[in-house]
Amino acid sequence: MSTTENSKKPAKPKAPRKKAAAARKTSARKAPTSKKAAEKTVSALIVGAGFAGLGMAIRLKQAGIEDFIILERGNAVGGTWRDNQYPGAACDIPSNLYSYSFAPNPNWSRSFSGSEEILDYVHHLVAEFGLEKHIRFEQNVAELRFDEKQGIWTATTDKDVIFTGRAAVMAQGPLANCSFPAITGIEDFKGKKIHSARWDHDYDFAGKNVAVVGTGASGIQIIPELVKVAKHVKVFQRTPGWVMPRPDFSTPEWNKLLFRKLPASQQAMRELLYWSHESMALAVIWNSPLTRIAERIGKWHLRRQVKDRWLRRQLTPDFTIGCKRVLVSNDYYPALQKDNAKLITWPIARISEKGIRTVEGIEHQVDCIVFATGFDVSHSGTPFPVVGRDGRVMGDDWKRGAQAYKSINVAGYPNLFLTFGPNSGPGHNSALVYMESQLEYALKGIRKIVGEDLKVLDVREDAQQRFNKGIQKRLAKTNWNSGCKSWYLTEDGFNATMYPGFATQYAAQMADFKEDDYETA
Amino acid sequence: MASIDLDKMLEKIKGTQWALSDIDWDAPGAELITEEQWPKLKEFMADLMWIEHVGARAFAALAKKAPTDTLREIYSYFHAEEQRHANAEMALMRRWGMLEGDEIPEPNVNLRIIIEWLDRFADEMPVYVLGTVVPMLEIALDGALCTFLLETVKDPVCHQAFEKINDDESRHLGVGFTVMEMQGRSASYIKMVQMMARVMDPRLILGIASYMPLLNKMRDNVIAMGLPEEKLYKAMQKFERIGGRTEEGRRNPWFQLIKQHGRWVTNRSNKMYHVPVDALVKITGMVPRNALPAVPSWVKELTYEPTTTR
Ligand SMILES: Cc1cc2nc3c(=O)[nH]c(=O)nc-3n(C[C@H](O)[C@H](O)[C@H](O)COP(=O)(O)OP(=O)(O)OC[C@H]3O[C@@H](n4cnc5c(N)ncnc54)[C@H](O)[C@@H]3O)c2cc1C
Ligand SMILES: [Fe+2]
Repeated sequence: MSTTENSKKPAKPKAPRKKAAAARKTSARKAPTSKKAAEKTVSALIVGAGFAGLGMAIRLKQAGIEDFIILERGNAVGGTWRDNQYPGAACDIPSNLYSYSFAPNPNWSRSFSGSEEILDYVHHLVAEFGLEKHIRFEQNVAELRFDEKQGIWTATTDKDVIFTGRAAVMAQGPLANCSFPAITGIEDFKGKKIHSARWDHDYDFAGKNVAVVGTGASGIQIIPELVKVAKHVKVFQRTPGWVMPRPDFSTPEWNKLLFRKLPASQQAMRELLYWSHESMALAVIWNSPLTRIAERIGKWHLRRQVKDRWLRRQLTPDFTIGCKRVLVSNDYYPALQKDNAKLITWPIARISEKGIRTVEGIEHQVDCIVFATGFDVSHSGTPFPVVGRDGRVMGDDWKRGAQAYKSINVAGYPNLFLTFGPNSGPGHNSALVYMESQLEYALKGIRKIVGEDLKVLDVREDAQQRFNKGIQKRLAKTNWNSGCKSWYLTEDGFNATMYPGFATQYAAQMADFKEDDYETA
Repeated sequence: MASIDLDKMLEKIKGTQWALSDIDWDAPGAELITEEQWPKLKEFMADLMWIEHVGARAFAALAKKAPTDTLREIYSYFHAEEQRHANAEMALMRRWGMLEGDEIPEPNVNLRIIIEWLDRFADEMPVYVLGTVVPMLEIALDGALCTFLLETVKDPVCHQAFEKINDDESRHLGVGFTVMEMQGRSASYIKMVQMMARVMDPRLILGIASYMPLLNKMRDNVIAMGLPEEKLYKAMQKFERIGGRTEEGRRNPWFQLIKQHGRWVTNRSNKMYHVPVDALVKITGMVPRNALPAVPSWVKELTYEPTTTR
């Protein structure tokens, strides 16, 4: 989905997305608009009503800051979990850890909750903390611009509506934009095309021949579900990933009751999950003896579930575990071996009117192609122009790879906080654990701006550089930088995505607000 | 042929794909196959198609071992392209009424042994070995056999298919020789010794033991069809000529080895080689089919149908 477009819920992704990028560039050069803001200037402008934006809102409220606005381009909250409603969609970090510690949910029905249940939790957050009145739906931010004289951020939407705030929080999500892949002939296909992140719930798969392109985190969740209903499912794989067994259990009633009556027990469970995921960092982030063990578990899982030698070979990853996202599933391998399923590893040559032609010369004819091809991840740009001091544009500063200070501030862009900024990605633990430390940090900054009536709270250039030298040095030693291509890396292999360390280290980094690293006015 | 830019090659490969449905397999011309030709052609096509398929599997092994991402991707394309050749050749056989009950033709015993060997050991072979053997097989078998086929068969659809197949093949060879030269360039003395030491690997000996009779068997087959023996040998000498045209190419010890082997094969008077290998052909010919293990499942992916919904 191109970002400059208003993405209402079931909107269809478009290919190609070059136009959007071009549009972005030209609008960046537009002069600051002199139009009047739609509402009075608030303390904080938040872009995006997903986990990050809503979490920020909750923390602001809890800290007594009530004047903030959330701008959301869709017509509902939930972000990732509103968009990813494909059959089988679920989190792959246990729900007790994939939720906010400041808003625990004792009622998770299973270890790994499905998309719907997570979305319910999000709705519950909105209701419980009274966030609805702060959200402006169908406001697709097209530009953020800082006015240094007044110390004010202006958000302009694609319908030219203007909102102003003293601080701004970019919570537009790391994986919110998607498009159909640029496969030759994709526009010739006469059948149905569906993107995993823009599911069409009205399409009936019963009796259909279906192709699924992509075997990443979404693909392996969709495939077992489609195999249950479709006539035949062909899975087109480019690179096999590491698939780990998934310890998924439904939560017994007594357990929910325990969590309700004794919240400390749920907190203890969360701690346990947290530390067990922390220990996985050793296997996933760095190449250590544990990496070998994790790979052995992955191979054992494959050997146990797939008896055919050739199929096993097709499914065996050829990169170090952790280099790309580790997948978890118990039903993916068995699904591929059902009579009505087939794994295709021939490269795709093109898409034709009736299906997918692979290089072995055969046209695989299908009624529907499901693209589980992931998201448009920008390593060196911003989804919309962000203009800072002296008219500098973040996308230009980031040409050679995105850089920030502690993932959250960027020098030259005062009073602006990023969630999921550069080098904040978790490889082994819940994104929300990372997010909580970001929200705390942003809260400190916003309180400072409001409390001390600051026009400018800008991180120093040298502090940012020092920070990044350290990060890149540490990244060089990780599995992500070990040679495989993944969405974590830019074309030239620069890692602007992942945090090279334990969540605990990240939390420590974020707990410390070094005033000396900032310039204030 | 000079060394080629592999990145550009990959782009070219991606940009020039063809599919079975680009050819009208029911177009007139099938009747041009003479009655006399038919039985020998049938056997020939079956062998050819299996060689393509075996070549495909070798490329799959190369893709696992390739030293760079580009080569890895090139080899996975070549894997699929060889499969496409096999599929297209099956489509021709079907057109000519050579498939019994729409079945995949049975591989001969030599091929069965090679298939078994590839399935068990190919992925473990160092990239140098297959990287040299494969161009040899391609040039000798594919190259010579296809030229001969086109001289003998008048069916225009056959010509149409082989024009496409040969285009692919010339790229496979270009890459093959470039890689041999790359290897020759980097081969230090120690590495060379290490590579030679690999010859002692029993798995490799097994591979060689199945490769040698295959060549002799194929030689017998094509001669039975009326291919002058010299043509096959000429093709094999081409391997020596192109592979050895640069210093780097000549320095590749595997090139030296395979070249030497090629010389033995083409020298009928070399009794030291041909007596035992021909004997092997005879012996393998006597191996009962049910003594061989079940064919691996990659073999079942062959198809002559241009489109499929299953
Ligand atoms: C299928 C899937 C499974 C996942 N599973 C896990 C998991 O198990 N564990 C884990 O830790 N992480 C998981 N993630 C990562 C997940 O993205 C994050 O955990 C988290 O949900 C991100 O929240 P967010 O608020 O930052 O972004 P989002 O949820 O994407 O929310 C961003 C919001 O901003 C809006 N927006 C975007 N651009 C604009 C704009 N220009 N103007 C206005 N509004 C805008 C979007 O519409 C959206 O509502 C998963 C992601 C996917 C896609
Ligand atoms: Fe071939």
